[in-house]
This record gives sequence, C-alpha cells and structure tokens, in this order.
Amino acid sequence: MYIALIYAQPIQRWEMSSPTTRGEVLVEARRVVKAFPGVWEHLILDHIDFDVRAGEVHALLGENGAGKTVLANILSGFYTLSEGEIRVRGRPVKIKSPLDAIRYGIGMVHQEFTLVPSLTVAENIALSIRRRNIFSYPVREVATKVRELSKRYGLRVDPDMLISHMSLGEQQRVEILKVLFWEPNVLILDEPTSVLTLEEANELFKILRRMADEGKGVVFITHRIEEIMRVADRVTVLRLGKKVGTLNVAEASREQLLRMMIGEFEPFRAERKPPRIGEPVLEIRDLHVCGDDGREAVRGVSFTTHAGEIFGIAGVAGNGQRELVEAITGLRKAVRGRIIILGQDATNKSPREVAEMGVRHIPEERRRVGVAEAMCVAENMMLRDYNIAPFSKKGVLDLRLIGEHSKALIERFKILAPDIWNTEVRILSGGNIQRLILARELWRAPKLVIAFHPTYGLDLKAVSHTHDLFMQLRDKGSSILLVSEDLEEILTLSDRIGVMYDGRLVGVVESEKATTEVIGKMMTGM
Amino acid sequence: MDSSRKLGRLGISSSVIRKFGKAIAESLFAVLIGLLGGALLMLAYGYDALRAYRALFLGSFGDLNGFLETLAFATPLILTALTFGIGVRAGLFNIGAEGQMYLGAIGAVMIGGALSLPPGIHLAAATLFAMLLGALWSIPVALLKIFRGVHEVVSTIMLNWVSFWLAMYLITYHLAEPGRAERAIPAQETARYMVIGASLTTVFIVAIGFALLTYFILWRTTIGYELRLVGYNPDTARYAGISIMKATVISFFIGGLAAGLAGATQVLGRPPSWTVYATMGNLVNLGFEGIGVSLIGRNHPIGIILAAIFYGGFLHGGRFMEFEVGVASELVRAINGIIIIALAMPELLNILKRVRRRRRPT
Repeated sequence: MYIALIYAQPIQRWEMSSPTTRGEVLVEARRVVKAFPGVWEHLILDHIDFDVRAGEVHALLGENGAGKTVLANILSGFYTLSEGEIRVRGRPVKIKSPLDAIRYGIGMVHQEFTLVPSLTVAENIALSIRRRNIFSYPVREVATKVRELSKRYGLRVDPDMLISHMSLGEQQRVEILKVLFWEPNVLILDEPTSVLTLEEANELFKILRRMADEGKGVVFITHRIEEIMRVADRVTVLRLGKKVGTLNVAEASREQLLRMMIGEFEPFRAERKPPRIGEPVLEIRDLHVCGDDGREAVRGVSFTTHAGEIFGIAGVAGNGQRELVEAITGLRKAVRGRIIILGQDATNKSPREVAEMGVRHIPEERRRVGVAEAMCVAENMMLRDYNIAPFSKKGVLDLRLIGEHSKALIERFKILAPDIWNTEVRILSGGNIQRLILARELWRAPKLVIAFHPTYGLDLKAVSHTHDLFMQLRDKGSSILLVSEDLEEILTLSDRIGVMYDGRLVGVVESEKATTEVIGKMMTGM
Repeated sequence: MDSSRKLGRLGISSSVIRKFGKAIAESLFAVLIGLLGGALLMLAYGYDALRAYRALFLGSFGDLNGFLETLAFATPLILTALTFGIGVRAGLFNIGAEGQMYLGAIGAVMIGGALSLPPGIHLAAATLFAMLLGALWSIPVALLKIFRGVHEVVSTIMLNWVSFWLAMYLITYHLAEPGRAERAIPAQETARYMVIGASLTTVFIVAIGFALLTYFILWRTTIGYELRLVGYNPDTARYAGISIMKATVISFFIGGLAAGLAGATQVLGRPPSWTVYATMGNLVNLGFEGIGVSLIGRNHPIGIILAAIFYGGFLHGGRFMEFEVGVASELVRAINGIIIIALAMPELLNILKRVRRRRRPT
C-alpha cells in the first residue's frame, strides 16, 4: 500500500519483523544516568534500571522532579543518556533522536500537545509524515488508517474533524493516534490523565489495557496512586532521581506506594476550624463575559465571597471559569453586570487597579503567564511589589532588599533554586515555579485570592503544603476564590461550593452537604 | 573576606563571570572567522592579507592619535546602537535610528548653527533640542504600533525615508551656509564640544554617559524592569498589570533620544566640518551600522560601548588598508561586512530563538 511505502521507506523496521511474545522484555534501561552539569548538582537520574515487557502496563510513579519524564524522554530519544545502556529486545542500541526511537518501535505521547488547531486530525497526522518526506501529504490514506486504528483500540476519533473543535480529551486521543500510527511496540504516556475528566480517564485506561493485551508494552507516567491501582500491572517508583523499587501492583498497597513515593508518610489532615465569616469581599452581580470566539462564555453569574471563607468553583473545563477569572482580575472585559471588591466597583478595571485593591491571582498557565521564564528568580519574585516602597523608591529599585526578600521567600516556601539572580526561571521544575508564584502572590496575606488550579501537576507534598497555606490564609481573614477541576481539592478546601455549567452558576452548596455525587450531577448539567 | 564573596556583594557571581566569559569567547571566535573570511576575499583578489590587517590594527589602535580617531568614529555608533538595543530589550525591532538621527542633526544645526546664544547654554540647548527632535520622530512609530498594529520595521523604514528627504530639503533651502550651498550652517564656537585630540571631542563622554544611564534605567529602575518584562513575556506583563503601551512608548522615546544625540554628535562634536553636508554623506548609514554594533554588543549598553569602539576601529583602520596595501575601498567595506556579520551572528541567533519560542503553541 501507498502509505506503508511512505513510512516504511525511510525507516527500517527490523525489530518489527517478528511479533512480540507475552512477557518478552521489549525495552530495557540499564544503569542509566542523566546529569545536567552546571544546572543541577545532583544527578537527574542516578543509575536507573527499568524494563518494559510485552503485554503489561508498567507505571512510573514519583513526585515532581523525581525524573519520570526524563527517563521517558531518554527512552523515546528526546534526551541522550549520560551513562548506561538501552537495550531493545535484548540488543544494545543507541537512541539519538525521536526518529531512532520510532525505528526501534518506541513512541511517546507528551504532556503538551503538538497539534495544529486549524487542521483536521488526518491532516495533522499526515503532517508528521511530511516531516520525513516533504513530498507526501497523503491525507486520505491517513484517514483510512486512522479509522482502522480507532476501531482496533476503541479510540473514538473522527479523522475529518478540526482540532480546534475538540476537547482536551479528544485532542489527547489524537496525540495517541499520532504515535500509534507508527505501530510502536512500546507506548509511553507522560501524565496522560492530568487534562482528562474522570470519565475520559476511565476510557483511556480501557484503551491502554487493550493495547497491552495486544502484546504492546505500555509505560504510564503518573503521580496518582489511585490510577496505578486501577490500570497498571507493575510499578516502578522514583524519588529524586533514584529508583526506590519495582513492585507488582497486585501485591502492593496504596500506603506502601505512597511511602515509597514521598519518603516519609504524612497522612493529610482534613480537620478544620469552622469558618469565621466576615464582611463580603467579592460580589459578582449578573456578570456576562464573552469568550475568545465572541460568544458569551459567562452568562449571568452572581455570587458573593466573604472574608475568612474559601469559595470553591467546580466544573468541567470550558464552562466559563477561565473567562470569569479573567474578568475579575481585569484581563478581560465584562459585557454586562458588576464586579464589586470590598465595596468598590471593580468592573472593567485594569489588572493593575484590581491588584491595588488587594487582589492576588494564581493563574492557570503558570509557565506562560505566571512567570517570565527568561528572567531570573528574584526578578520574577518582585513582579507584584517592584513599584512599591521599600522595594523601590522614586522609581529606583533596591536590589539588595529585593534579593534579601527573595531569599527569605525561597526559604519560607521551600523553593528549589540554585541562585536568585543567575538562575533563569525556565530551568526550574513546574512545582518550583508554582511555589514561586504562590510565594509571590500570597506572602502578604492578600484580601482576595483568585486561585485557578493552584495544585495542578504538583506532587503530594506540594499539594498538602499549598492546602495548608490556603487554610492559614482563610483563618487570617483572606477571602479565597478557588477555581479547580479537581473535585477532591474543591471538597477538601471549600466552605461553600459553586458549580459552573455552560456559563452559569447552576448551584451553590454548603461544604457539609456537598458530596461527589451532588457536585458531579451539577457539573454534568443533570 | 575572600574575593568571591566580595564579588558576590557587588552582584557578580561565578556564573555571571562564566556567562560573560562565554560571550567574550564567542565574540573572539566570531572575529577569527570574520578575519579568515576577509583574508580569503583579499587573497582571491591578490592582496597581502597579513599586511592589510597589520595596517588596519596599527592604524586604529596602534598609536594615540589613531585610537582617538577610532573613538570619534565610535561615538555616534554607541548611540544608534542603543536605539536598537533598548528596542530589543522591550521586544521591539526598532530600526528607525537612521531617520531619527537625521532629524537630530537638523535640530543641532537649527540651534547650534542658526541661533546665537550665550556659551554653555547654547551647547546644552542645541544638544537637548537635537535629542528631542529624534525622540519626537519616534513617537508616530509607537502610536502606529499601539493603535493600528503597524509593525515597527515597516513604519521606521518609511519614516527613515521621509526624514532623509525632509532633512535634505531643510539643509538645501532653509539651513544652508550662506555662500556655501553644499552644506548647512556649521555649529558656532559657543555650540561646539571641546576637542580632546584628533577629531575626538568631549561629546564622546556624553555618549558614554548616555549608555551608562541606559544601563541604569534598564536594570535599576521600575521603568526598565517593566520594559524588559514586556520584552521577555507580554502575557506576564499584562498579568502583572504593566501597561505594554507605556513600555513601548518609553522604549521608542529613549531610543529616539539616543538617535537624536547621535545626529548631534556629528554637528556639535565632530571637527573639522561641524555640520551636515547636503548629501548627508557624513551621516548616512550611521543608524543602520548601529544595528550591527548593538548585535555585536549583545544589546547590552556596556557591550555596545565595547562593540562600537571595535567597529569604529574598523571604520578608521579600513582607510589604512587602502593607503598602505592598496586594497580597493569597496573591498574594505566587504571585509568589514564579513567580520560584522560573523560577530553579530550569535546574538541574532539568540533573538531568532526567542521569537520562535514565543510563537510555539502551548
């Protein structure tokens, strides 16, 4: 067939010649070391042994910065290893590029999506072929194959649909298809569930299972133990670049895995003082806001938050939460309605004016919006306070004071950064960037905090640290508006919970009365 | 106290030194490649490359007079390079220094040549007026960008031409020296910077001062912080409540001041003519050469000073390649070009990388 010619031609698929047998070791990493000299003092991966067998789902478990993604990137050719050896089906190989990895039958689905929104599914996949042979763009043949693959694995994807019309869950299925297209023996997925709803995650697990049953080896990176118990056969735990161990999931307990992952065992204490509700801080009255496409994304929302309470907003992504937050923080214009902060009108004020009213904002996209990655730690730390005495006087910055302040915050919020003036924020891990943002926004105990997915992608310790922080702020009298898709987080923290569906606030529930079932029903519009 | 801690208190740590060392090493390597390319070109045309380079370096850095002349060549380049550099820091590609510099020179002629004022005041007034005209010429660029979304590359190139013909018209019809129509009225004695030696005047010190001031503004003031933040990540700047409009206007304005001052240096601080010729031969290209200087100096005020002196050395020393080895003047410019391109390459690649990173979907 034409298609087979195109992708078989530049890539010799010698190892594909024989089908896999169940239990056969497909890929093996031996004593793999990865170091980033000059950037990190410790080894990112410290003599790691790891293997994937045909027919299994092998989970990689660890906190942020444990080295899971780095290991996966080495196996899939995005990084080269510093020391050690990779074997593919028993044969030592050198994987120098993602193309090499595909050649050896290893494909990886990354956490970030790499799809062109204005093209269809088939066009996107054809594009990845075009990169290897610029004269071919076989959209129709690709579409046929996509249909075949989606039937085989139960991945519901319409090859003719535009990416821009797809939800994150659907886009992820496309990313998986893009890799499956090369018929890899080993499929690596980096935190695939972080953008998915519960339902979508369940569906993904079924698909992974089916791939394993077909004789593929699946590597599944996660920091959620629950998911491992549900889908994985074996699990390898990494902590700070070292391998803690590999277990059969059937013989492992949740507590055991948790202890292996975080080192010391700290059960989360959900005990909380009853809220001391104060004056109203944020009042939203019949707010209407347009989304990027010009359609109303927020359609008449009203609620009030008070000092000393955490008001949670639950909802599936894309139901107007982002536009609501942007309108409150001044980043987006409201079409109709009023926003009142501490008795003052804050409708359609600039972000600076809103910030000066005592509002702090933990944004959804921490790397793209929350920090300037090319600037150093101290410069990012002063983002909110650079123009206020004593950090600057008459427009001149006091660098010494800013430095001391940054150092103090780094210690207080346990941010891992080699140096405050010479470390670009770019090289920090996601968790440390989030800690930096939390430190910057919360150190002064603001009157109103707007937090969008504050713990998204953080490890357990960081999550419980963030939650403690929020509870402390609440007890000190801050009003917190917590917007999150993580229902557990909303239920743990909130005093009252509002649910957004289709641009409307469909209900507000006291936290004692809120159960997953009640909220879940509201979230899905039932 | 050991030395590294002393350095640390000055805000200099080992990694800064490493970064600086890397930049120097890269630049030296680029010089080497450039010289090699130039040498090949000369060999192809049958010139003795070694002798030519010897003449170049001895001419520009070999004796005091030569070195002062080099500095005189460097003076306007420091300033036009700052125009480009401060633009890049704010995420702009401001190539309007050329046109703004013409107007600066016109401003210097208007006050310094055509008016009589008391000494001291005269010089200051002429300098400031020149800077102001340069800055005013940059404002339409900022406004067009902010309100109509016109890219600054397009608007500055167009305004450069408007400025060129406007300046030529003014010199020919309104500011020509009586009896010598080929040039504008020279700066009066009271409006001239003091000559230090060769054709170097104290305006060099003013240029250095402006560069240091720019450094201070960029890294030690709130305005500079806002400007750099907008340059690095406009989304973050917006989130932090920083006005991108304000940062854009300020970057263009400071750039315009620098370019205007660059024009003034050629009128108020450059013997023997102390004026502009109607062809503007003594001004043309200084603005564009500033772009190369800024790239060589990594768009950093201190780097720009060093790069301008280096570049000035080539402009001045190039003439000695002509005198002593007989290298054709066109070839001298080609050799200069090769070396400058090699030198500007590292920073140009950096800027391109940054643009690509910004466009990457998230």
